[in-house]
Amino acid sequence: MKKSAFLLVLALMLALSAVTLVGCGSDDADDTDADTGTEAVSDLPAGVQAIADEGELRVGVKADVPNFGLQDAASGDFSGMEIDLAYELAERMGLSMDDVKFEAVTAKTRGPLLDNGQLDVVIATFTVKPERLEQWNFSDTYYQDEVGLLVKTDSGIEGLADLDGKSIGVAQGATTRDAVLVETDAAGISVEFFEFATYPEINAALESGRVDAFSVDKSILSGYLTEDSMILDDGFSPQDYGIATKLGSDDLTTFINDMLDEMVESGDMDTLLAKWNLK
Amino acid sequence: MSEFFASIGFLQEGPFAVPRWEALFEKGMDTLWQGAATTLLVASLGLALALVLGIVIGVMSASHWRIPRAFARGYVEFFQNTPLLIQVFMLYNALPLLFEGLFLPVVTIGILGVGMYHGAYIAEVVRAGIQSIGRGQLEAALSQGFGYVGAMRYIVVPQAMRIVLPPMTNQAVSLIKNTSVIAIIAGGDLMYAGDSFAGRFGHYGPTYVMVGLIYFLMCFPLAILARRLEERLRAD
Repeated sequence: MKKSAFLLVLALMLALSAVTLVGCGSDDADDTDADTGTEAVSDLPAGVQAIADEGELRVGVKADVPNFGLQDAASGDFSGMEIDLAYELAERMGLSMDDVKFEAVTAKTRGPLLDNGQLDVVIATFTVKPERLEQWNFSDTYYQDEVGLLVKTDSGIEGLADLDGKSIGVAQGATTRDAVLVETDAAGISVEFFEFATYPEINAALESGRVDAFSVDKSILSGYLTEDSMILDDGFSPQDYGIATKLGSDDLTTFINDMLDEMVESGDMDTLLAKWNLK
Repeated sequence: MSEFFASIGFLQEGPFAVPRWEALFEKGMDTLWQGAATTLLVASLGLALALVLGIVIGVMSASHWRIPRAFARGYVEFFQNTPLLIQVFMLYNALPLLFEGLFLPVVTIGILGVGMYHGAYIAEVVRAGIQSIGRGQLEAALSQGFGYVGAMRYIVVPQAMRIVLPPMTNQAVSLIKNTSVIAIIAGGDLMYAGDSFAGRFGHYGPTYVMVGLIYFLMCFPLAILARRLEERLRAD
């Protein structure tokens, strides 16, 4: 009896690894097909051509921000405004939509993933800040958003002033903490910050009453709005979202800036924002 | 000397560049030391709890009474077979929802978390130690008029203790490292301090190297101690 159970487990493991191997194999096949189907675009700058030659564009995106970068739990597909920007970028490199490989990132992982070469670009509600410009290349701004506060409706908190002595949950590696601090200092109130690695963790802390407010960019907050929570009217320190690439990859940054300029001029950017209910 | 450093590429640019190390030493070390102090607090009180729980439950699971044995078994299986991460997350977020307003401080959660979790492992070590002492020892003690608890307390456990010390010390090392899970509930420990500093300023390269080094400095002496104890045991 014991032996047959062991054999069963062994068989299951073998079957699983076989499935995984076959999965990888077919992926490779897809890649080759895509490669042969790709027309080389000759007038690309060297830094961009290098990516086009690889035959794939590896993009870090958010998986949990509705309208920007959201991953469907069932299909694993990504959708959102930033996803469409990645497709547009790929097209301009002569790559197809299938050549775009998305990787979910958080505020904490996106920088290191660019540095170690696992990602070519990061389009993930990444705010441009002076100290970040020393570490990564950033494109021009493609969206501007405010930092907001999500509170529970029954908390009695109606504005920033009500937060005196309260606790605020923020994301690690985000600029929120410093942005909120400037406002609370100006208002003469003191708050305590708790940092979490992901938005769902901050949301859980808000739900359980561990923190009194969940603070991050308003566009991100809108994804966590429920019947018994609300986003305060207060909004501060406009955050400029830029497309990040590895420090020194100037060819790519210029290429991305040209793309953004053209999209704004042609009106494609407005169409894109309208498509995702953004303004 | 400076030429030597200039020849090392990764110190010039990238995540490990020299200016990042300078930034860490200028404005990051205070944060890290504060975190290290919290980690030491959680680890030491957690270890005390784990030892008490481990010995009591270990003795229970080696006993011949059915109910304590069943309880000890249940305890050990529960804590050994669920991730510490989930236990800590539940204490943090689920407890206030189940019992209105029961907000255990994060440090307390850390102490309870690692204490109960490693208590289960130490209980297994203690049980194995007791069972390795010949049954004759217990029988002899009982025949001399000791009760069961007295025989355990004065005869069996002291002998078992010598055998279980090295694996127990290894548990202490693991316990120190596992305190880092409270970083996910904003625990203010060394890992959290490192995450926080690395996240705010982006100097994650030097920061995590330093965090790892501090954990190493806390654990290494204990690991050495475990080896010494083991060698002494073998010499006997």
